[in-house]
Amino acid sequence: MMTAAVTPSPAPPRRRHRSFGLLLHQIRYEQLSFWRNPQSAIFTFVFPVVFITVIGALLGGGGRSSYFGGLSALQYYVPTIAGLSVLASCYGQLTVALALRRQYGILKRVRATPLPAWAYFAGLLAHCVLVSFIDVALIGVVGRLYGTPLPSNWFAVAVTLLVAAACFCGIGVAVASLIANADAAPAVAQLVLFPLLFISGTYMPIHSQMLNRVAGWLPVRPFNEALLGPLVLHAGADWKRLAVVAAWGCAGTVVGVWRFRWTPGSE
Amino acid sequence: MAYAIEVAGLRKSYGPVQAVRDVGFTVRAGEIVALLGPNGAGKTTTLEILEGFRDRDGGFAEVLGLDPGERSSGRELREHTGLVLQDLAVEPYLTVRETIARAAGYYLAPRTTAEVIDLVSLDGQERRKVRTLSGGQKRRLDLALGIIGDPELLFLDEPTTGFDPAARRDAWQVIRQLRSEGTTILLTTHNLEEAQALADRVVVLAAGTVVADGAPDAVGGRDTARASISFALPDGYGIQDLPLPAQAGDGAVVVETSNATRALLELTQWADRNGIVLAGLTVGRPTLEDTYLNLTSPSTTNQGAPARAPGRTTR
Repeated sequence: MMTAAVTPSPAPPRRRHRSFGLLLHQIRYEQLSFWRNPQSAIFTFVFPVVFITVIGALLGGGGRSSYFGGLSALQYYVPTIAGLSVLASCYGQLTVALALRRQYGILKRVRATPLPAWAYFAGLLAHCVLVSFIDVALIGVVGRLYGTPLPSNWFAVAVTLLVAAACFCGIGVAVASLIANADAAPAVAQLVLFPLLFISGTYMPIHSQMLNRVAGWLPVRPFNEALLGPLVLHAGADWKRLAVVAAWGCAGTVVGVWRFRWTPGSE
Repeated sequence: MAYAIEVAGLRKSYGPVQAVRDVGFTVRAGEIVALLGPNGAGKTTTLEILEGFRDRDGGFAEVLGLDPGERSSGRELREHTGLVLQDLAVEPYLTVRETIARAAGYYLAPRTTAEVIDLVSLDGQERRKVRTLSGGQKRRLDLALGIIGDPELLFLDEPTTGFDPAARRDAWQVIRQLRSEGTTILLTTHNLEEAQALADRVVVLAAGTVVADGAPDAVGGRDTARASISFALPDGYGIQDLPLPAQAGDGAVVVETSNATRALLELTQWADRNGIVLAGLTVGRPTLEDTYLNLTSPSTTNQGAPARAPGRTTR
């Protein structure tokens, strides 16, 4: 009867082993939830692949042109659509999923268990990064089918994707934390993203100097440019542009951590 | 350390609204305690403070020997407590078994998935997606997630709301079984029959403070209250013919008395002498519901309009 006192924690070595196990546990169930949900799987995952397939069919035969800054159409679109898929699976997915999970009390239920917050977020982040890696790989394969060679500097590709995916996850957490009503989450996420994609040249090259300078300080254009080198030009990682992305990622993470709530919001 | 929960002088305000003014009660290890009170009495706020979802403004609170407002020991506390709340939800695309197995992975020493599925009678539903479950099945899954960690202390927020009578009896059986295995349970309910059936003690809140605390049979002076004896008035007799003063009730006459034994003896002897039958003879005490309504009516608590907690939280 008198057992109300709490038993002590396990020894540290077991805990380290356990932390890694918890992370895998989380990633596994995030993946299961993701692939079974037709909405997330189609919007987040299939859309960029369909996009690059259509672009390739329309513009695949063209050579280099000044309109695409001296690149062929596919050399231009493989990096920007790869960037789009990272944005969809990290920023877009996290914003909507976190806002909905908070509203429905899924986050509160997580908070009621001993699962540490870091493990929850690390699992979710790793899941998003994993989805974006698979998506980028598929886009690369589609590009290859239309004649764009696969990248050769895999290290630069991986570093660029990893830094950017983590940063856009951070920004996603921030936007999710600022959304009060989850019903508005998809709209808000797109409202922020869509103009940004346009001025950053994701859908078509931008030839306005002024716009390019502005977009150069926002997160998407530097990411597209940082992908261009490793993905189609066989260049190394573009640390300068990645630093711009990382700065936005850090800012987003700070806002996210500061404003994040586990429980459903007020009316 | 005999108390699973110890609360004293608990206070919490939302802006100018005092949701909890001065709440104090204890829950002994192994006990089932029901927290009762009308909406806005401060039940939810009190529970959320004990569960670690809200910070308190003042007062003492200890759960399993730990301060629920202390974040550094929060993980330790959640390892040993289980929650079944109204506004919790789960991923819709996982199956029942996956959902329970996922939660089991969060605890150092969980029950087995199979054991919990069996305990809440979800056997046969393991492979169904959560989104296809009925309302009652979802509540059972909630209960399964609350007990998967083999908690010492379980919080149950209106555990049988929306259950049909048979499902409610099943849920009560599960709760009693948990208690028999040593789990301490703090539950809230609007169903007074449930409190009567399950609780060792009830704590009644009204307008942010405790107005009664005791065994369901004794709370609010129920055990010493006057009994009422009712029966159908025999044909050919009037109220004035009875050996005791009585009032005409709803299709019956009612005798109120502080000594039911004595009064029954007089009534039955009188009936026997006159060769009549007292049809529908019953002896009643005020039900828990009568006592509860009396305790929580605004004229009794003599407070202003009860404060309804807004949904703001601290994390």
